[in-house]
Amino acid sequence: MLEITISHYLTVAAILFTLGIVGIFLNRKNVIIILMSVELMLLAVNLNLVAFSSHLNDLVGQVFAMFILTVAAAEAAVGLAILVVFFRNRGSIAVEDVNMMKG
Amino acid sequence: MPFENLPDLVPVLPEIFLALVIMSLLMFGVFQRGGRAETDVNTFRVISWMAVVTLIVTPLLVLSLAGSTLIGFGGLFISDPFSVFCKILVLIGSAGSLVMARNFLEEHDMARFEYPVLVVFATLGMLMMISANDLISLYMGLEMQSLSLYVIAAFRRDDTRSTEAGLKYFVLGAVASGMFLYGASLIYGFAGTTNFTILEQVLQRDTQDEYGQSLGIIFGIVFILSALAFKVSAVPFHMWTPDVYEGAPTPVTALFAIAPKIAALALFMRVMVGPFGDLISEWRQIIIFISVGSMLLGALAAINQRNIKRMMAYSSISHVGFALMGLAVGHDSGIRAILVYLTIYLFMNIGTFACILAMRRGGVMVEAIDELAGLGKTHPLMAAAMTVFMFSMAGIPPLAGFFGKLYIFLSVIQAELYLLAVIGVLTSVVGSFYYLRVIRLMYFEDPDEPLDRPVSREISLIATLAGLVTVLFFLYPDFLVLSAATASSALFLN
Amino acid sequence: MIEALAFYIFSSIAVAAAFMVISARNPVHSVLFLILTFFNVAGMFVILGAEFLAMILVVVYVGAVAVLFMFVVMMLDINFVELRQGFLNYLPIGSLIGLVMLIELATLFGSWVVTPVIANRGLMPTPSPDITTNTHALGNIVYTHYVYLFQAAGMILLVAMIGAIVLTHRNRPGVKKQDIGRQLNRNPANSVEIRKVEIGKGI
Repeated sequence: MLEITISHYLTVAAILFTLGIVGIFLNRKNVIIILMSVELMLLAVNLNLVAFSSHLNDLVGQVFAMFILTVAAAEAAVGLAILVVFFRNRGSIAVEDVNMMKG
Repeated sequence: MPFENLPDLVPVLPEIFLALVIMSLLMFGVFQRGGRAETDVNTFRVISWMAVVTLIVTPLLVLSLAGSTLIGFGGLFISDPFSVFCKILVLIGSAGSLVMARNFLEEHDMARFEYPVLVVFATLGMLMMISANDLISLYMGLEMQSLSLYVIAAFRRDDTRSTEAGLKYFVLGAVASGMFLYGASLIYGFAGTTNFTILEQVLQRDTQDEYGQSLGIIFGIVFILSALAFKVSAVPFHMWTPDVYEGAPTPVTALFAIAPKIAALALFMRVMVGPFGDLISEWRQIIIFISVGSMLLGALAAINQRNIKRMMAYSSISHVGFALMGLAVGHDSGIRAILVYLTIYLFMNIGTFACILAMRRGGVMVEAIDELAGLGKTHPLMAAAMTVFMFSMAGIPPLAGFFGKLYIFLSVIQAELYLLAVIGVLTSVVGSFYYLRVIRLMYFEDPDEPLDRPVSREISLIATLAGLVTVLFFLYPDFLVLSAATASSALFLN
Repeated sequence: MIEALAFYIFSSIAVAAAFMVISARNPVHSVLFLILTFFNVAGMFVILGAEFLAMILVVVYVGAVAVLFMFVVMMLDINFVELRQGFLNYLPIGSLIGLVMLIELATLFGSWVVTPVIANRGLMPTPSPDITTNTHALGNIVYTHYVYLFQAAGMILLVAMIGAIVLTHRNRPGVKKQDIGRQLNRNPANSVEIRKVEIGKGI
């Protein structure tokens, strides 16, 4: 209990990742929360990578995490830009109540 | 020596060239901006043509690397006959869709020079994906492609449908990236490396030793598989495809249906056959499931569609199902069949979308399938081209589409996956129903109001070229089959 | 002992805050909880010896991404009560999926052991903290072995910049802004006019 192994970190990462996925399911109408859930998922991945990197004694995991951080920031910028133009057109950010297109 | 540590840049030449062109085009466009609509359109036109020329020149650079396997940047990047083959397909697809886009963009008030720049950006990302030899470089290429495509999908920013398509594509794409990364992190943790070459050795050794494969690797593969299935829009991750294809501006849909799909399938093949090749018994079942699901859904759901872009979305889902059938075979002949299939798919789809872009009435795009009624009387040439493409997609000999399906079926039967082959043939028959419906509409229904004439020169040129390739393919299939064979054998060298 | 204590504090706060991110009623609160999560995960990074990433996480995420989120939440005038509808409808299925995934992943991590084979596979062994700092070690490989990815990351940021500008930037007429070219091109001849004003009359 008092000795912290890698499994502890991986479990925390798994919980964060699951919370991210559940958040996407629960907030299907609110795109902003969905974007935040995606950030949570990426955060979990980073925690995974850093934990593995530390226990494998290998820097590649940290390099990977660093690039994920960079790309995730770019992704957030693009996502919010698309969200803003969508809002300008529709006056709402709910994805689901859009019934213009039906399958 | 100061240059001792300089990495070998030769394998990356096409990518470096594209990156430099992108930045020059961007600078050129930014400094041309006059603020007046007229100059903006001129800038757009110039940059658009320069981008097309670039995309046509780059295959020459790519070809200069053909024939050998080069690894660059300490194993992050690989250039082999397989990547050369797929890169040329992707470049042709992007160039074709860019040529077709010009007229549409100018007429719909979207003629901003960023469009061609972003298309070249997406193409660069695809080339990086195809050449990735490491999970990290794979991710970077994938993201460069996806980010550009999200923006391109929402490029008609005053249009609700376009921005909604962009938003849907973005949200689902971001979730897929998250899944991919989680899988990649598991692979890294349980195998200790992200490099494909080392990964292949490690997994080979693990399969042979007494403990067998660890569960973490299997989980990682499942996560990565589902993310890749999203990117190629295979069942059960296809939900975004019809909405995005319908909502995005038509030239963008043409791009989506061609280039990213080929790049993602190339990635699929490289990842599954390369590092995870020894685990085929684990992932074959999943691929078969995905493939059967895609073929069934693509064939059945397309029947009721009224919108031609939506129909093409389902058609592309079923084509992906067919291509994945070859992956389930898992060895040389399957990969070769996929490459042949993808080449033919490229030409059929460019041609079909050229015809769709020519569907205009009174200067406005029309998208309903019913608008094609009576085309055989009002536009005999366009109707003939559309007939060729539809027959080819349905797989009717002697058109190219028939050969694409033939090679896939041959490889599947060779691998003794008879049930899969039977399902493939059945869905192909069901699927031909909706292609034939289009032809029936064109020739056996009365026209209401004829579509606009004349069709713009670029579009008719592309439709003619694609049509010729589709019709005349059977005269000389050897060239394509042989190059595909060289390309596919590169994946199985070790 | 201290490590264990720090781990439990950081991880429990991170998980609780992450839970609040997805369940808070007000998106502004969600953003604030997201920041809290990032802070605590950064703390765990420090325990794991990845100081540079911990600092980057704080600078990039808390400093830029979270603020961007906050900006968008504040800028868009959204009726959030309406958006909450359906939250409860999805709750059972959502938590079921989450639970299944979590159990699967938890069983998975029970099986992870550092075998000696795995431990020596790494391409880039971490140097000991006595020799060099984490930042230095990362810098050493990012600009050499991983320069390809470094350049690619630059291109991706360029895509994001172009994308954000092309989507949201609008040339609005009537907005006053400085045009240096026009300022420099002005000369007295065409901007100043001297008139003789007669006494007792206006112009």
